[in-house]
Parts: sequence; C-alpha cells; structure tokens
Amino acid sequence: MSRVDLAQIMNPKSVAVIGASRDPDKVGHVILQNYINAGYDGELYPVNKSGEDILGLKTYKNVDQIKKSVDLAVIAIPAPFVPGVLEECGKAGVRSVVVVSGGFAEVGNTELEEKIGQIAMKYKMPMIGPNCLGVMDPRSRVDTLFLPTYKLSRPSIGGVSFMAQSGAVGSTILDLISGEGFGLSKFISYGNATYVDEADILEYLMNDKDTKVIVMYLEGVKRGKAFLDVARKTAGKKPVVVLKAGKTAEGQAAAHSHTAALAGDFETYLALFRQFGFIIADDLSDLLYYAKVLVSEPPPKGNHVAVITNGGGAGVLVTDALASSPNLKMGVFSATAQKALRKAMPSIVSIRNPLDLAGDADYQRYGTAIEALRNDPGIDMFVVVALFQTPGADSKLAAELVRFKDNMDKPMIVVSVGAQYTEMHKVLMESAGLPVYDSPAAAVKALSALLSYNVYKNRKR
Amino acid sequence: MESRYVKTSSDAVSFSDGKPIAMKVLSPKALHKTKAGLVKLDLRGDKEVAAAFGVLKKKAAWLKPYDIVVQKMAHSGVEAIIGGRMDAQFGPVIMLGLGGIYVEAFKDFALRICPITSYDAEQMIEQLRSKDMITYNGKTKRLVVDLLMKVSKFLVANDDVKELDLNPVIMHEHGYDVVDIRILK
Repeated sequence: MSRVDLAQIMNPKSVAVIGASRDPDKVGHVILQNYINAGYDGELYPVNKSGEDILGLKTYKNVDQIKKSVDLAVIAIPAPFVPGVLEECGKAGVRSVVVVSGGFAEVGNTELEEKIGQIAMKYKMPMIGPNCLGVMDPRSRVDTLFLPTYKLSRPSIGGVSFMAQSGAVGSTILDLISGEGFGLSKFISYGNATYVDEADILEYLMNDKDTKVIVMYLEGVKRGKAFLDVARKTAGKKPVVVLKAGKTAEGQAAAHSHTAALAGDFETYLALFRQFGFIIADDLSDLLYYAKVLVSEPPPKGNHVAVITNGGGAGVLVTDALASSPNLKMGVFSATAQKALRKAMPSIVSIRNPLDLAGDADYQRYGTAIEALRNDPGIDMFVVVALFQTPGADSKLAAELVRFKDNMDKPMIVVSVGAQYTEMHKVLMESAGLPVYDSPAAAVKALSALLSYNVYKNRKR
Repeated sequence: MESRYVKTSSDAVSFSDGKPIAMKVLSPKALHKTKAGLVKLDLRGDKEVAAAFGVLKKKAAWLKPYDIVVQKMAHSGVEAIIGGRMDAQFGPVIMLGLGGIYVEAFKDFALRICPITSYDAEQMIEQLRSKDMITYNGKTKRLVVDLLMKVSKFLVANDDVKELDLNPVIMHEHGYDVVDIRILK
C-alpha cells in the first residue's frame, strides 16, 4: 500500500486555483488560463481574496466558501500565506494540494517548509511542492504549470512519464518532448519534495497503466531506504531512464579508506541505478533518445544488428558506433537472405552488412531489402539509415518504413540527418511510432540501451 | 592469512621458521602503511627478519600505541580490493576493484548497494574494464563472487562499520589470501 495516493492529484474531478488572478502577469492567472485552454472538463474554482469573477468563472473568496468537494487545490500565493491557506484547505476537506509557490527551504526558510509539511500531513492531504511546476497529464487535462502555452508547448498523449525536482529542467524536457512524436503520460515536477517525494512518485508511475516508460531527472532522494524499496521493483515492470545531477566530490575529502575515497555519493547513485536496471543518461538529449526507443520498440531477441543505408559513409559511421558498443554486434545475413537480396538488388549493391542500397535507392528497394531480412534468424534489430537528400528518398520511403514498423516484431530505428525536408519526414515517421535519430551514435546508444534493459529484465535470478 | 603479533625479533624469527614472511606496523595513527614505509615484504632468512624488526620498531616509536604483526607471504597472483562504506541514504555499499594501486589510478571499480545477489556480484565483475584479469578462469570468478557475497553479508550484519577495506586480496591458483583488512567504525 502506498504512503500517498497521487490519483487525486493526477486525475481530479474538481480543482481550486488559489491565488487565481485577473492580472495576466500573475502565476495564478496563467494556471487558470491553462486549465481553460487545455479543455479541463471537471469543476474549476478560482479562489481570490477579492472574490471578483476571473476569466468568466465564479470566483470564491475562500476555499471553504466553495462548499463542494475539491480533489485538488493548486496554491500560487506568496510563501508566508501558504500555511494559513493550507489549514483552510485541510478544514474544508480538500483532498490534495500542489504548492507552486517558492520561498521555502530553497532560500533558507526551512521552518516555514516544515510547517507546511506538518499541516499537509495532519490533514492527510498529499502535497506536491513547494517550489515546483506541479503536474500535467494530457489525458485528464490537468495542467498546473504556470508557463503559458505560447512559450512552452504541451506534448500530445503518449506513454512516457517524466519526473523532476527542478522546474527549469522539467519545463525544458516537456518542451522537447512536445517536439517528439512519442507523447506524454504524466509530468510531475515536485520541487522541494516536502511531503510527496521521489519514492512516492516512482511508485505511482510504476503502477500507472498509462505509463510505459519512466524518465527522471534526479538531484537526490529524500528517503533513501524507501526509494531503494521501490527502485528494486520498478525496472522489472517498466523501463526507467535516469539523469543524475550533482557530480560533486562532497563528503569524500574526509574518507579514510580506499573504498570511501572512490565510492562517493554520485558513484553510489550510479551503482544503485545499474543494480536495479535503470538506464543511465549522460545528458538531457539522452533522456529523449532512450525514451523513444523504449516506448515504441519490442524487446530484441538477441544482439545482432542489420544496417541498411542509402549512403555508404553513414553506413560506416553506424558500423563504427556498433563496433564500440558494449553489447551490440553486426549481424551476418543468412544464406537464404543473401540469395534473395542478390536476386532482387541491382549489381552495384554488395550483399553484406552494412547493406548499402546506393544513393538512388527508392522506397521499393528499401522494402525489398527489409522484407528479405526481417525473418533472418541471424538478425535481431534494424538500423535503417534514410538520407532524404538523395534522389530516391521521398515521402513514400517514410511511409514504407512506417508500414514495416507496424508489421515487425524486431526493433527497428531510423537514422535521418538533415534540415527542413528531413525534419518533416522525421515528424511523419515519429508520430507513427517509428523512432528517428539525427546521428548514428545516438541511434546505436539507444539500441544498446534497449538491449541492456531487456537483458536486465530477463536476467536469471 | 596466517598472522601473529610479535613483541621481539626472536618471536618474528621463530614465526618465519625459515620461510619468507611479511612484517608490518599496525597503528591507528598510520592508515597508509605502505606509503609510510611500515610494511616489509618477502623477508627471507633469520638475519633479514631480525633486521626488519629492528627497523620497524624504530620507525614506529612515535606511533604508540602500535603492534608489529608478521604474516606468511601471500602467493603471488591478481590483486583485488574489496571494500564497503556506510552510505547515509542507502545503507551499506560494497566495492570491487582489481589491480592494487591501479584501482585508484584508473577509477576502475564497481559498486552495489547491499545486500547483493550473486547476479549483482557477477555484474560487478562484468562491469570492470579489467575483468579479464580474473575471468580467465571460472574458479577465480566464483571465488570473487563468493567473497563479495560474504562481505555483503558482513556489512549488512555490522551496520556500525563506517568504512571497510580488504586490500589487497590476492587471487592465485590455490584460492585467495586476504592480506590486509582495515575497518573504521
């Protein structure tokens, strides 16, 4: 049984926005506006001391004047007023709160932060924050983010959930995800983690049926042992991609033994991630690279990769990246596949891996090649390089690759490098669930992560 | 490793019994014995043993309280370091590294949170760039896995241990020797 239930926060039937305002520059205004823009269809209750209607909605002076059940209160008022408002929420029976306001432990006001934590716990109101962006769920149309949609695009509905302490990193990632085809399940920026913390959120996402892949940006954890307990179970259920910030040597200066000198804080986190099958990202871009392959591709049955390309150089780059990968290998085409390929391909095409289809390859040549190899027992995964600058590559090629993707039980990813024309086809393919990478190295890293995750998941214990 | 505290040079000589031995000074004031010149290795013959005792006793004079310990020389083989640390957040953490002084130079080590499973222990070895130094034979690998599991159990059972080094552990054709242990509570 979870310590807290985040369902009220992620899928509320009614939301009060405390600190709602007529002033478009106020955070409380943007939050209310975003709820309206997102088409949230539950009850919406603006709360403002003046009580004047805001954005055409009936506005309440106090949360206890609402007199109806409130599943979630979003609190966007100056820090010193938060304890009083939390008390009111508790007495009025509000089920959960998101405190977006800053001005607590992050600026040294630890007492104020402890106080709001105690109030939230006293009333058993799960509280996200303070000092956070809050939550977003495109399915339930909950959106507590105080960033206007013209500045920060909102992703479509999908299977990747994202959790972050940092609001800035969180919003950056959210903006980036909106440019990817895979879509979002849940977004949770939890700030100071005074009540609801990493362990609670990870557990919630682990059990959330709409979440297929968990992506997290972590600076630290509030309750180490509780986090361990959840982390131990999570990767067995779904992939977790993690970016850990804070590679400091703090605390190591005082070490007396070799072990303590080497095994610092950061290394210990990495060890934990490795031990429990998390995929470790080195950079923000890695989070997206890994997320999109993990959310869309089936588990590979082995580690042998076929490379199909319309550019010789790009094929070599993929091959080089594969050679330095810790777990992937170039596959060898079976005799049957070789025979079929020799028969179908023009004589300029050498039948070997990487399979260079030549610069004039069109969608049919790609189709024939993939068809010949898709059931080859020596091939477990495909990297298809599609350079759209070449004469034969056009929208039909993008459509053909998507068609294969839909009918294939082996992982397949695409490498397409280029500007507008390429970008357009990238979006086409990605929105159909086919992961596209803009560099051979990124593509190979992603496949490698897909394989290691599945090796971990199927490990013998 | 067969070891004994000795008070006099003749104690040391009778312990060596004509076979090569190592001799070291143990003192809470000297954590890095080799660097401080407090370890003498491969002492052969009564004369060499007695002379080494004299040198170490002199060097250790300002390190009181101290002990001098003699050990049978370890077999030669691959050196490993196995250690532990109590992490404030996650509890005991176990470490494996290979190759003596190179562990720190190359930062080639693997960590796990305790308790570990035998799968975790195998993965710790797999993670090392220098894994081929021990995986060349299956027996050595099994010994390392076995030792890691034991150390993990020890760390879980003794949560007052802040830091632990088994360094070096020497793996050779007959098994392994834990040459030195350092525990900080």
